[in-house]
Amino acid sequence: MKIGTIDVKISLISLGVFVVFTILLIVASFISPSVRSNLLWLIPCLFMLLVIPLVLNYMSRRQYADLIPEYEQQAKTVRVKMINENMIGKIVRINGVVERVHFQFLNRPSYSVADRSGEISVKMFTSPDEDVKVNDIVEVLGQVIRRYIVTGEPVINCVSIRKNSAQPSTDD
Amino acid sequence: MTRSDTTSRPAESNRSLYPGALVPLLAFGSTLAGIALFNAGVQFEIQYAALGGFLASCLLAYLAWTRLHKDIVALSTPIYGFIFFVTPVDYTGGVALQLLYASGLTLLTARLYYRFGTGTPSRSLGTELETGPLQAYVESTRHVFAALDPVTGHRAAAAFLRFSEGEYRRAADLARAAACPDGTPGPVVRAFDILRQHAELLDNNRSRPVTFLMFLPDDSPLMAKPLPGSKDPDREFETQIDNALLLLYSAAWHASKTDQPLLHASQAFAMKLLTP
Repeated sequence: MKIGTIDVKISLISLGVFVVFTILLIVASFISPSVRSNLLWLIPCLFMLLVIPLVLNYMSRRQYADLIPEYEQQAKTVRVKMINENMIGKIVRINGVVERVHFQFLNRPSYSVADRSGEISVKMFTSPDEDVKVNDIVEVLGQVIRRYIVTGEPVINCVSIRKNSAQPSTDD
Repeated sequence: MTRSDTTSRPAESNRSLYPGALVPLLAFGSTLAGIALFNAGVQFEIQYAALGGFLASCLLAYLAWTRLHKDIVALSTPIYGFIFFVTPVDYTGGVALQLLYASGLTLLTARLYYRFGTGTPSRSLGTELETGPLQAYVESTRHVFAALDPVTGHRAAAAFLRFSEGEYRRAADLARAAACPDGTPGPVVRAFDILRQHAELLDNNRSRPVTFLMFLPDDSPLMAKPLPGSKDPDREFETQIDNALLLLYSAAWHASKTDQPLLHASQAFAMKLLTP
């Protein structure tokens, strides 16, 4: 679903919650007359279970979309091995292969991206523009953060992950 | 490393295991003491036998906190220990819960020592590297860099640290200023030059040039990583900067004692550079 230029996606969890409560409401309205008399406000509430995640997704994706040009300008292209605790807060770009994907169903995907120097966890707090799968060659743009905010190894808080099949060029 | 340092290490390592052994001792001991007291006719709520488990979890969290890499699971155990201590529970359920919790803490302690090491980095106050390939490399180059002048050592530390922070422009400037051949050993000058070239390329988001700066074949005894050969120029280019950074790290470690705490804090990065 597209709102303006933003492609809004709803997570499977939100859809599941909506379906479960819809079934519950249908069953309850058949059993109880008091539920039927309150359908006027129960049905809008039910749809709020879809609308609220959609709005939140739209807001987060719009914010990420606004950040991308700024990150593009500031990012330094580094090897995974160069990312370390001293780089917390730095904006980086890495190129690599997706080795694992987790939590896509929550719209909070976490990727494991590797280049020939190492592997790093790439976390995204909204849904990506493209459907990224294992073995895709990607370009990741993001900020180096700690895995658990104040502690843990460095990971990338991803703002953009794009499929990229182009080979790196060699400068003279 | 001095002889006394070497000989004292196994004893230190054994001593570092004692607090870990205290975790199951406290957790199981407290519950077993509670069972004994209860069976002896002392009437009290069995939840209070979880005090040992709570203290053991605090100790485990402390041990996790002192590691270089933090174990979030071990750090969060006191929350559960506290809940078990303050929540009323019947005798059988309480004993089962506490014994399960004590087993969990024991497993987590073993995991902490196995995966996060036995050492406590803060104990060395930043003057001793963790035992491993990095320490072995730094020690192997002591005879070359021990006589290096402290100013060059400090410049090497500054260039290494700025590079590790991703401050590539600053690192390039520092390396350019430091790459002065007057009295500085040739490999160190070349390391500064290589670092400068890589930092400039990174700062401008440029990839590997066709020709790039390299160490000389005579420098090979000081290289932390063997060169892969010219058949793989990408790998060769990457190995040059890894070697340059590690050489400057070692030079800084030996020549600039005042920078050792900062270098010590960055040893995880240096260790990463050593990986093939």
